[in-house]
Amino acid sequence: MKKRIAGFGLAAILALSAALVGCSSQSGAPAQPSGNKETAQPAGQNGEKVLTIASGSDIVTFDIHDHNNTSTEAVHVNMFDYLVRKDAQQKVQPDLATEWETVNDTTWRFKLRQGVKFHNGDEFTAEDVKFTLERVATDNKLLEYGNYKQIKEVKVIDPHTVEIITHAPEPVLLNRLSRLGSGILPSKYIKEKGWDEFLKNPVGTGPYKLGKWVRDDRLTLVKNDEYFGEKPKWDKVVFRSIPEDATRVAELLTGGVDIAVNIPPSDLQRIKDNDGTDTKQGPTQRVMQLTLRLTPGTVTENPKVREAIDLAIDKQAIVDNILAGGGVPTRTRVTPGNFGTNLDLYNKTLYDPEKAKQLLAEAGYPNGLELTLNATSGRYLKDKETAELIQAMLAEVGINAKLELLEWSKFNEKYKAKKFDEVFMIAYGNSMFDASLAFDRLTTERSKGESDYSNPELDKLLADGEKNMNMEEREKQYKQAQEIIAEERPHIYLYQMNANYGVSDRINFEPRLDEMLFVDEITLK
Amino acid sequence: MRQYLLKSILQIVPVLFLISIIVFVLVYVTGDPVSLMLSDTATDEDREILIAALGLDQPMHIQYFRFLGNMLQGDFGTSFRYDMPALPIVLERLPATFELAIAAMIVATVISIPLGILSATKRNSFLDIFVSGASVLGKAMPHFWLGIMLILLFAVEWKTLPVSGRGSWDHLILPAFTLGTGIAAEMTRLIRSSMLEILGQDYIRTARSKGLIETIVVYKHALRNSLIPVVTIMALQTSTLIGGTLITETIFSWPGMGQLIIQAVNTRDMAIVQAAVFVVAFLVIVSNILADILYRVLDPRIKYN
Repeated sequence: MKKRIAGFGLAAILALSAALVGCSSQSGAPAQPSGNKETAQPAGQNGEKVLTIASGSDIVTFDIHDHNNTSTEAVHVNMFDYLVRKDAQQKVQPDLATEWETVNDTTWRFKLRQGVKFHNGDEFTAEDVKFTLERVATDNKLLEYGNYKQIKEVKVIDPHTVEIITHAPEPVLLNRLSRLGSGILPSKYIKEKGWDEFLKNPVGTGPYKLGKWVRDDRLTLVKNDEYFGEKPKWDKVVFRSIPEDATRVAELLTGGVDIAVNIPPSDLQRIKDNDGTDTKQGPTQRVMQLTLRLTPGTVTENPKVREAIDLAIDKQAIVDNILAGGGVPTRTRVTPGNFGTNLDLYNKTLYDPEKAKQLLAEAGYPNGLELTLNATSGRYLKDKETAELIQAMLAEVGINAKLELLEWSKFNEKYKAKKFDEVFMIAYGNSMFDASLAFDRLTTERSKGESDYSNPELDKLLADGEKNMNMEEREKQYKQAQEIIAEERPHIYLYQMNANYGVSDRINFEPRLDEMLFVDEITLK
Repeated sequence: MRQYLLKSILQIVPVLFLISIIVFVLVYVTGDPVSLMLSDTATDEDREILIAALGLDQPMHIQYFRFLGNMLQGDFGTSFRYDMPALPIVLERLPATFELAIAAMIVATVISIPLGILSATKRNSFLDIFVSGASVLGKAMPHFWLGIMLILLFAVEWKTLPVSGRGSWDHLILPAFTLGTGIAAEMTRLIRSSMLEILGQDYIRTARSKGLIETIVVYKHALRNSLIPVVTIMALQTSTLIGGTLITETIFSWPGMGQLIIQAVNTRDMAIVQAAVFVVAFLVIVSNILADILYRVLDPRIKYN
């Protein structure tokens, strides 16, 4: 009996292997030239226009209020509409709201577009705006709560008019309403079916609706024929999640995808040299910077030491050599495209190692000094290499920087606990497109424990600017604030980061400053 | 037999209990999930609220017992990244991983059985030396390197196979080879040595001396017996396979459990890590028991007690 089982098992394995030898030789036969049957077909085949975009990670959720992830929002913008939206030049344009006005310093009135339908057929009304914005403004468990708690109430005036009332004067409300977390949700659908159902079958008013989502594989959107604006340009849009850089690049090179985001600088040339693909670089809202401690007793408490650090770093060399030109040196975090940018400080670097040495001598360190530089490894593009180069540049002028590289979650833990020594390197974005956000860690209150920087003049400028509804005056306040920071250097800004894309020659694509992927701005050649 | 089975199954319980402690402690000591969950603009007050909501303000042993109690009900908590129960997310990924693992085992079997037999029957020949060398190389090649090389060759240079993703049959080939090569190498060596041992046995000499042709001696008398350890070793490869899927799935963006685990670890999604480690541990234990049973079934000389 047992012998028979053994014999049977053996026969099965041999039969299987024989069958599979057949199988594998069959599948080894030449396949279609473009690897993936389902994606990136040239237009015209099947008559369907399909756009395929590969990014490093999948979207995290369809709860538009409970993530703080730019690459997730880049997908959501095709399904959900904001009240107002930024065009490619970052100018505010009507979207679900057609007109708006300020009634008083804390009240904004919006006229809503009529005849707009959600993907499930529900009509879009003022109730949806109230539901959406009040949810994120009141539920402190949501990740975007902090960016919307300024909203006190949304009043429904009539089915197509709302008033948004803020706790304090809110000069950046339109910026707030045209970014992550502002997509309008279908209140009736969510109230009837519940959140779980919405998260499985999300519904918006945008030009594309959900086709299918296979987590960590691909998200397929299909065009919404009922869309109120211009007809959607693609029949189907596939967002693929390909975490490995080399694989993402290979997919682009073989025509498997039309656009690949986050291309490592070392692969740019290969993509340019390949027939049928090219690269695009565009500025982003992210700026790499050093945060310095002014805590009494630290070497960086001395302004001359901080200036010497700034002068010792050749920012242009970092951009050219490490990022393959993918960045712009800057002395401000408020880069062009943001409200209040100070262009005198942008695309500038003060590199002067001789003067840095002199400053150190004046500060009482003629033989140099020691400090600790903390940086991330693997969080930002070439962060480790950048930090190492900075360490070498500091050594040139006599600053012996001990470099501590940490993986992001460890870094973040130390960062949140405010436990770094003299200097740490980090990058910040600015989804608000307003100068105010660039200073959020520089007020006396917020910098306590982190940089311990305190300047009452700056505190006043920032407090005034935050609530100032006179835009001209407000701009001046922020320009002045940037000059103060560039002079006093609690933060030393290094460079504005570029985003690197690989793009198929069959399409037209221009990167946006906000890194959103509005697919109807991408067209076939 | 029945008693043996029962004993094996009962042994799972303390093992899983130990694993629950290890998993809990590991995740507990590796860092603070709250920092990762909060946005940059969050205040200390927001932080306190979140800590309380997650129960992280409780002492460690209370947190563990709550974890254990929930776990027994199949509740590994809610993944903060997906905002959904963790276990269903992990189970949802199993079919893709099984598909890849089975394909890799098939690749390994198809490569190793003929090569193992050939190199044993033609011992010390050029072919034998070549196969032995190749299996050392096969075992030594790291998955990430092999995977990327296969992509560059077959997808980018020759454009014969798709680069990544899960879809039709041809999507499976490169990841299955990446994952299966190391196992094939190990199995080839095992089949070779097992064959050599059997070929030296008295009954083989008897078979030869009574005038049987060599093919029958090798395939009917030797191979059948030499495969007994191989079949059980195959069942024991589960942990190697799962370890390999972590890298292979990430390279080929294969939406299975391996990729999920990597991402959960990177984002410190504790609930997913815990659920996944448990599922993996369970699979490994079950396959070990199966290997044990299979071995006993195939080789009647081994007793159950």
